Amino acid sequence: MFELEQELTALGAALEWPPTPNLGPRIGSHLRAPTGVIHFPTWWGGRSRWALAAAAVVIALVALAIYSPSREAIANWVNVHTSFQQVPHLATPSPQPPGPLGQRLGLGGMTTLPDAQKQLTWHITVPSALGQPDEVYLQPAPDAPALGEITLVYAIRPGIPVAGQTGVSVLITEARGAVDQNFFGKMMGPGTTLEPVTVAGHQGYWIAGPLNDFFFTDASGGVRSDTVRLAANTLILDDGGTIVRVEGNLTKAQALEIATSLG
Amino acid sequence: MEGRPEEESELFSRAQRGETAAYEEIVRRYQQLAFRTAYVITGSAAEAEDAAQDGFVKAFRALDRFRPGAPPRPWLLRIVANEARNRVRSTQRRLGLELRLAEGFRPGDAAPSPEAASVAAEDRGRLLGLVNTLGEQDRLVIASRYFLELSGEETAATLGIPEGTVKSRLSRALARLRARYEEPPGV
Repeated sequence: MFELEQELTALGAALEWPPTPNLGPRIGSHLRAPTGVIHFPTWWGGRSRWALAAAAVVIALVALAIYSPSREAIANWVNVHTSFQQVPHLATPSPQPPGPLGQRLGLGGMTTLPDAQKQLTWHITVPSALGQPDEVYLQPAPDAPALGEITLVYAIRPGIPVAGQTGVSVLITEARGAVDQNFFGKMMGPGTTLEPVTVAGHQGYWIAGPLNDFFFTDASGGVRSDTVRLAANTLILDDGGTIVRVEGNLTKAQALEIATSLG
Repeated sequence: MEGRPEEESELFSRAQRGETAAYEEIVRRYQQLAFRTAYVITGSAAEAEDAAQDGFVKAFRALDRFRPGAPPRPWLLRIVANEARNRVRSTQRRLGLELRLAEGFRPGDAAPSPEAASVAAEDRGRLLGLVNTLGEQDRLVIASRYFLELSGEETAATLGIPEGTVKSRLSRALARLRARYEEPPGV
């Protein structure tokens, strides 16, 4: 096997990669731009987004009129151009950014509770203490643990400070699996403490301070890592085979109250 | 010490204090790795450029969560790779990886004979073709370890799996590739 590995390494050195774009200056100017102003230069040469959008519509109509393409071809065409148009839509750094809060956190696709429940084979628990979530995200496997992962986003809730610049007070993430205290050890930053707790007879862990990553065994038996989205405190609970993670600038009492109200 | 590159820890500290110039330098240092990693995942240079760009912007916003002194590569790769995977998912398609051998590439120090160089290029071409026939998981783990030369920890961050899974997945991928490679060509 060693010989094959050597050949692969040599092959890697002989590959021709696409040229790397020079991202530094354009990211720098984006970060320095005032809120709401986009400064990403593109090969379109600095035209306005509205002009680009108008041009795209005209081109689309002309192309459709001339070629009468199939439905599949239209879908492919739209896909290509949609992905191109994503560049100018980057959110700007702002304490209260426009648009859905969870889109900035990489939680998956935005959905609703009823639609998410239809797609999952297990029951989503919602804490009555927080009411209905402001946003719901579903991440299917394999990018999420086996049987999928759901995240409930709560914007502003009385008595709970918003975490950093996220605009989010509480995140609740749920997936099927099992958690083991031994997995936490190396994932906790200095000054972070872990305390086993029990919520309605279910084993849980109160983690005060930042937790970098979170490991657990998912429904397929594989060990998964998941990133904790808010640099805040975390309560992790094994709720009858559903791992529920409550993140936010919460006190232990607040987190336990939320966990107790899950149903 | 004039002209010595600034230590990364100092660069990250400055960036964490909001100095965009320091972050620009971080981007400059890591943009090739980030772009190529995203390219391996998306199979598209345009999507990879967008993913790397968005990833770097998100990483800047998440700098307060970066632990001082921690290795930055796994942290950045995790964010960029996640962005690339999101793009693949949102476009509902993944293009095949279309890596080619660089023309005129001469491995090693000594110039090989024309015959030897031709055979080596042929072998590499065949090996690359076989890598491209592997399943996506196999192709990604091999490309991460050997083409991008990522460590086990970095590969785990890129693929979003534990390091132990990287080892087992890589072992199985190599076994499958070896079996195909040892078959006589044309079988």
